Amino acid sequence: MGTFIQLVVDGLALGSIYAALALAIVLVHRATGLINFSQGAMAVLSTYIAYTATKMGIPLVLAIIIAIIFSFLLGAVIERVIMRRFEGGNADTAVVVTIALLTLITGLSGWIWSYNFYPFPSLFAFGTTAETAVDSVTFLGIEFSLKTITILGAVISVKSIMTTLTIVLIMILLQVMFMKTKLGLSLRAVSINPQSSAFSGIPVGRMLMVGWGLAAALGAIAGVLVAPSLQLSPGMMDGALVYALAAIILGGVDSPLGVVIAAWAIGVLENLAAVYVSFIGYDLKIAVPFILILVVLILRPQGISGTKTVERV
Amino acid sequence: MGSLSSLLEKRWVVVTLWVALAIVLIVAPLVLPEQTNQTITQIGVFAVAVLGLNIVMGYNGQINLGQIFFVGLGAYVAAWGVTQEWNIVLVFILSFLVPGIAGLIVSLAASRLKGLAIAMVTIMLPLVGVPMSKRLEEFTGGSQGIYAGFTTPPEWSGLARDQWQYYVVVSITVVVFILGANFVRGKFGRAIEIVRDNESVASSMGISPYRYKVLAFTVASMFGGVSGFLYLAAISYTSPETMSFVHSIGLIVAMVVGGAASIVGSLLGGAYYVLIPQITNAINPNLTSVFQGIILLLVLFLLPGGLVTLPATIRRLFRKMKTRERGGTSPSKDSTESVTKDSQLKK
Repeated sequence: MGTFIQLVVDGLALGSIYAALALAIVLVHRATGLINFSQGAMAVLSTYIAYTATKMGIPLVLAIIIAIIFSFLLGAVIERVIMRRFEGGNADTAVVVTIALLTLITGLSGWIWSYNFYPFPSLFAFGTTAETAVDSVTFLGIEFSLKTITILGAVISVKSIMTTLTIVLIMILLQVMFMKTKLGLSLRAVSINPQSSAFSGIPVGRMLMVGWGLAAALGAIAGVLVAPSLQLSPGMMDGALVYALAAIILGGVDSPLGVVIAAWAIGVLENLAAVYVSFIGYDLKIAVPFILILVVLILRPQGISGTKTVERV
Repeated sequence: MGSLSSLLEKRWVVVTLWVALAIVLIVAPLVLPEQTNQTITQIGVFAVAVLGLNIVMGYNGQINLGQIFFVGLGAYVAAWGVTQEWNIVLVFILSFLVPGIAGLIVSLAASRLKGLAIAMVTIMLPLVGVPMSKRLEEFTGGSQGIYAGFTTPPEWSGLARDQWQYYVVVSITVVVFILGANFVRGKFGRAIEIVRDNESVASSMGISPYRYKVLAFTVASMFGGVSGFLYLAAISYTSPETMSFVHSIGLIVAMVVGGAASIVGSLLGGAYYVLIPQITNAINPNLTSVFQGIILLLVLFLLPGGLVTLPATIRRLFRKMKTRERGGTSPSKDSTESVTKDSQLKK
């Protein structure tokens, strides 16, 4: 039972990270109607910025803030310089552009920082340096660090709880921003009807840049939170991208809440499957969301929350 | 230009050209150096994979980010069959049937979703396939990979290994390309193009978008499987690395650069896939994916129809310059033709 609770909590922490990346993709999809496959690669690049900043002696919290700001600017610049030309055109072409960005950005990270794995310090492992953090970490967040608390006989890592809480807090902040601020109102207006928004004086182009920037910043947070467990490498977020996309398919791209719940469900399920289903184990965990999708789609054709759409000719 | 195109309309000219091409293809390996033979062989291998990708993505408009998975699967099936010493014809059939069935299952599920869902599902294929093939060690040899050669030249032929491999791969490639060209020009090809352009129109004509999406995906997976068989014929070795995510992206880049919804474009794509890494590796191996990304972006910005539309684009530019000199803006038949080709990827 103790192991079970521990796995569930760790799964929730993992799921939160997938949820953050998935929400970044949902954010871009809301603004521009396309799936940004380079979201994970952009997050990795930002994490490298944080890594380099810590190597230069900047405190971790400050380094992460620098990375988030960098990420916001990166997202905005990519939207303005590259994506703008393909928006409003065919969605398939725009998606191939994001594939090009995925290759380009991953390649840049690999070229600048090499393809080696670097340890990355955890925000929630107080007083530990990157070097000691490696020893306390095993694969994909199932770590038995010294910083744990015991509830009902279950040993739960503080990092998992803090990761989940951080992501929940960020989601609440985003929701408040979208619902209660003028910026959020403009962003929503642009995503619903760009033309009318332009007529009412909203700078549509700038809003799209902000949307991409926010998404990239969210991705950067996911990156710095997952890096301590996975170690930093150019392909670090490839797996997370799979989980995030699975969460989007299962939760529905138009439903942020559905996506978050799906991400948590995937995080918990894959963690349990890794331990209790011997064939799957840690190395085949990544197959869990994939098989889940195939089964759900074959049994429930319209998807979990999908409705039949009517299209005009 | 005019005299050339009227010459190409005569049947005997076309037949002569094809015969000449066939003779060149047959004689080439006997005179070319070994390394060139191997390069041409590899182009044949990956041209088949790109052709499959083109059927599902270029002609049918479904973004398939996992074509390499079916190539890898085909190679594994072929390798398994060869190590079990089954009849090579049986091995060949299995090496495209098994990926075809896998593709059928994936697309039965994924094609139910609208829009970009197929891209999201297929991007997972290589990312799931690599750890999966490492795990199924008894079939795949795990991370070490599996050696299985079946292209030792028979004694009566008196050919070197590279020449025999060339003949095996290139002849299958030619047959597959003829089949592919007939497929996209025939009834099914027209149907999948209508599904790409407008699903509602397709269904009002009695063409089920769902069924034809599944059909296109399955055919593409089978082409991927054939490519995997050819891969084993050319390399005699396969490992989880064969189906890695990087290579999957490489195939997409190759298809877009060669030309979407084009048979010749698929061949150019295969050549791009094999030749460009050779060049970039010579410059700096660490920069290969940076180059891939930049080239893909440049093509999307400047030449959205791919290399195959390059002649038409150049002709259009010349015409523009000429009309500017004359000061007139008469639209010509030729320029509208190349515009429709450009817009094929966008459709």
